[in-house]
Amino acid sequence: MRYKKVSGEDLENLRRIVGEDYVSTDEDELAANAIDAFPGEFHMPEAVVWPGNAHEVARVLAYANENRIPVTIRAAGTSLSGCVPLYGGIVLNITRMNRVKEIAERDMLAVVEPGVIYERLNEQLSRYGLFFPPDPGSAVACTVGGMVANNASGMRAVKYGVTRDYVLALEMALPSGKLVKLGARVFKTSIGPDLTRLMVGSEGALGVFTEITLRLRPLPRKMVTALALFDKVTDATDAVYEIVRTGLDPAAIEFLSRKTIQAVTQFRDLNIPDADALLIIELHGRDEHVLEHMRDVERILERHGAFHIKSAEEEGERKRIWEARKGAYPSLLRISPSPLTGDIIVPISKITDMVAKSYEIAERYGVDMGMVGHIGDGNVHHTWFADRREPGSWERASKANEEIVRYAIELGGAASAEHGIGIEKKKFMRLQHGEAYELMLQLKRLFDPNNILNPGIMFDLEDVMAVELP
Amino acid sequence: MQSAAQLRELLGGYASEVERCIRCGFCNSVCPTSNIPQAYMGSRTSRGRLVILQSIITGSREIEFSNKLLDLIDLCFGCRRCLEVCPAGIPIPQIMWSVRSAASKMGLPHASWMLRSFVKNYDKLASLASRFPGLANTLTRSKLGRVLAERLLGIDKKVELPAYIPLRHESSINSQQRLAYFGDVFGLYHEGNVVSGLFSLLERLGYGVEVPRGQRQAGIPLLELGLLDEARATARRNVEILSGYVERGYKILTTSPAAYLALKQDYPKLLDDTNARKVAENTIDAVQLLNELVKRGELELDGGGREVVYHSSCFSQATSLSGAIVGLLNNAGFKVVGTTPRCCGVAGMWGLLREHYETAKQVGSALFNELRDAETIVSQSETCRLWMRSILGKEILHPVEAILKYCKA
Ligand SMILES: Cc1cc2nc3c(=O)[nH]c(=O)nc-3n(C[C@H](O)[C@H](O)[C@H](O)COP(=O)(O)OP(=O)(O)OC[C@H]3O[C@@H](n4cnc5c(N)ncnc54)[C@H](O)[C@@H]3O)c2cc1C
Ligand code: SF4
Ligand code: SF4
Repeated sequence: MRYKKVSGEDLENLRRIVGEDYVSTDEDELAANAIDAFPGEFHMPEAVVWPGNAHEVARVLAYANENRIPVTIRAAGTSLSGCVPLYGGIVLNITRMNRVKEIAERDMLAVVEPGVIYERLNEQLSRYGLFFPPDPGSAVACTVGGMVANNASGMRAVKYGVTRDYVLALEMALPSGKLVKLGARVFKTSIGPDLTRLMVGSEGALGVFTEITLRLRPLPRKMVTALALFDKVTDATDAVYEIVRTGLDPAAIEFLSRKTIQAVTQFRDLNIPDADALLIIELHGRDEHVLEHMRDVERILERHGAFHIKSAEEEGERKRIWEARKGAYPSLLRISPSPLTGDIIVPISKITDMVAKSYEIAERYGVDMGMVGHIGDGNVHHTWFADRREPGSWERASKANEEIVRYAIELGGAASAEHGIGIEKKKFMRLQHGEAYELMLQLKRLFDPNNILNPGIMFDLEDVMAVELP
Repeated sequence: MQSAAQLRELLGGYASEVERCIRCGFCNSVCPTSNIPQAYMGSRTSRGRLVILQSIITGSREIEFSNKLLDLIDLCFGCRRCLEVCPAGIPIPQIMWSVRSAASKMGLPHASWMLRSFVKNYDKLASLASRFPGLANTLTRSKLGRVLAERLLGIDKKVELPAYIPLRHESSINSQQRLAYFGDVFGLYHEGNVVSGLFSLLERLGYGVEVPRGQRQAGIPLLELGLLDEARATARRNVEILSGYVERGYKILTTSPAAYLALKQDYPKLLDDTNARKVAENTIDAVQLLNELVKRGELELDGGGREVVYHSSCFSQATSLSGAIVGLLNNAGFKVVGTTPRCCGVAGMWGLLREHYETAKQVGSALFNELRDAETIVSQSETCRLWMRSILGKEILHPVEAILKYCKA
């Protein structure tokens, strides 16, 4: 695929669309847009463009499409799977489009521009007693648009679901320069194929979201949190299965493996006894009933051999429990300079097998590994310890990760539960989807016939070029 | 690139700290510079600064280290808010200081010679000026004084310079509970009246307070300008003096969050020796001490329910002194009707400089809006008070000053 280099004339034309201040070729600015939170290489764009509204986005896309200039869409750049301008061209940076346009309290929905930061939105919503639940670990930094593109989720997915469950309607700019509206301001529709849901998780391969309508939930009034420690990781994973199965409707079930517990204890000043597994369980509700339900949870934990259980209702104490989980990734980072973070998910009945396999793989490759995860829905993040500066270290970690991904797919699970495919997991697309991968490539061709949007992200460029439209 | 290799070498251990940054952008969420209108540009944000340094250090692009780059680095004014949220524990402001220090070693001085000399010697100048406060105050308030400050030091002429009110104190050490005061410039030369009021209160409660002679400024502006060698020398001198007091059973008392921060966090890191750590362990701020005394029932204060708004300065946040301040104000019978953790933009000397003055106002604008209607505003940081006073045209009090002024003790 041959793309056109961005010329002086192109820059002039782009400036005419978005305004003088909002196109930059400054080399420091290019560097700042050349990499994200995925530990990859720098890939410099030729220009960065910041549109201020949907029409400007559409016009920039039309221009790039006409002139065969690659466009890489960038929001907060917190992607852990990698979305960088592999083929140069322009970075379309949407961070200026960060308004909350409407909070419709009675309809329990919000209309936002894609660049609004998740936590900022929830701060505003909290005044109405409402929230947008997915709560990724990157809540203070990531944008709603980035979350929709990656179908992000977080600690509360086991009860509240993922981003996809909250997107009611989208406005999208297509490479052709068209602005289309998908979905409606209602919770359910039966009006033909659901293009809105199709777009969630499309990682910017099909178009650019310019407006997002989100369903909201009332903030829970009563919350109770428990921490439990186990001598045997398999006892913990069995307990998880039973808690989910019993209809206790947990709002979170989080898991830390031995290595992770050690890291947190070391770096977070937390006094946690040595254990093979740690679980944090949270229940949400309207009233005191949640406390009763927590007693049931505790009984399950005990029955499965938890040697230490502590539950808390008071906010400060709950926070201290959560500190173990929130400090997990940061603490692992202290041990491993450039860790490879996995994102597999397996059916909950297979969690125990998957955990056992993980240890076996880690030992075989001689790679240290900490696990932490949203285990209530089968999603575990492996942190494979690596140091890019040490020859062979990253490659070993990648191989180990690759093996657990293959195993997860074999078990009926998936290569990524919430972080997206990006650059890193493209290699699993065929394995994951089989025949359906061709369909996806065709879809890409249909929406983006000149391959200008996010080239090389999620789909290999060669694969897209090779596919024939029916 | 030659300058990239040189930068790497000059940064020493900080080079690998730069590389450890995972580019999550959490620091942007608290960094006051995210409020400036250009912050839509990645290069104008905290993460951007780290990423740009990464790109140079890892040799990912070929560029010469330049003044233009230094201007971006210069946007970090060392408030240290980011340290609380960075998941990887990257010493962000410290990295920026060492980049500035490296720059000047590479022949790219970051601040004018005059400003550097001024910052190096500010305490000496202030000490001299305090001997003739009448004259010094007339000069600093005059148009001439402001023009000179702008011409020579680059301090914006709209800035109202602080008056000289030196601390005058007779030592009173015939007591079991002995305190040695480490004042930094404001406590010793600009707000001596408040500090001596505090001493009288403490002496009534049986404390003996001494002001060690020969102590120098805390030196945080030196760090911020990248004058690391000078900062280290100043730290060494202060630790030498103060550790002698600690040996003799004194606690070190501060009133300035910058002085507290220097003793508690910066000196132990800069010097890495036992004396610095000993001084750190034995340092207590006046707000902590008063709060303890009130809680133990040894001091009764009655603020009569007066409503105050507390502005938590960057350094009060970074040192966790804000908790003690809010506690103290409440325990002293004030009603804390609001706390504002937002940054006022001044960040020590940074906002006072002509080249930053307008940016600093933009950074602080959200805070100024919040504070417009507040009647009594309290903040611990000397420069925040100076700055907000001049922008809001209101009195802003040190917590101790609020107690001395409004409480029946
Ligand atoms: C420390 C850390 C913790 C994390 N924890 C979690 C977690 O718990 N759960 C989780 O799900 N993720 C997590 N992430 C990953 C990341 O934050 C999410 O994937 C997030 O949704 C990305 O949002 P962003 O705004 O940073 O998007 P970016 O990284 O800028 O972009 C992500 C993708 O979305 C596309 N995109 C962005 N905006 C648009 C738009 N308007 N239209 C079309 N496409 C667009 C981009 O092209 C790219 O493909 C974490 C990341 C970090 C660094
Ligand atoms: S020290 Fe303050 S100004 Fe500097 S990067 Fe951190 S938060 Fe921003
Ligand atoms: S918070 Fe820390 S790790 Fe994240 S971008 Fe900032 S400096 Fe880097």
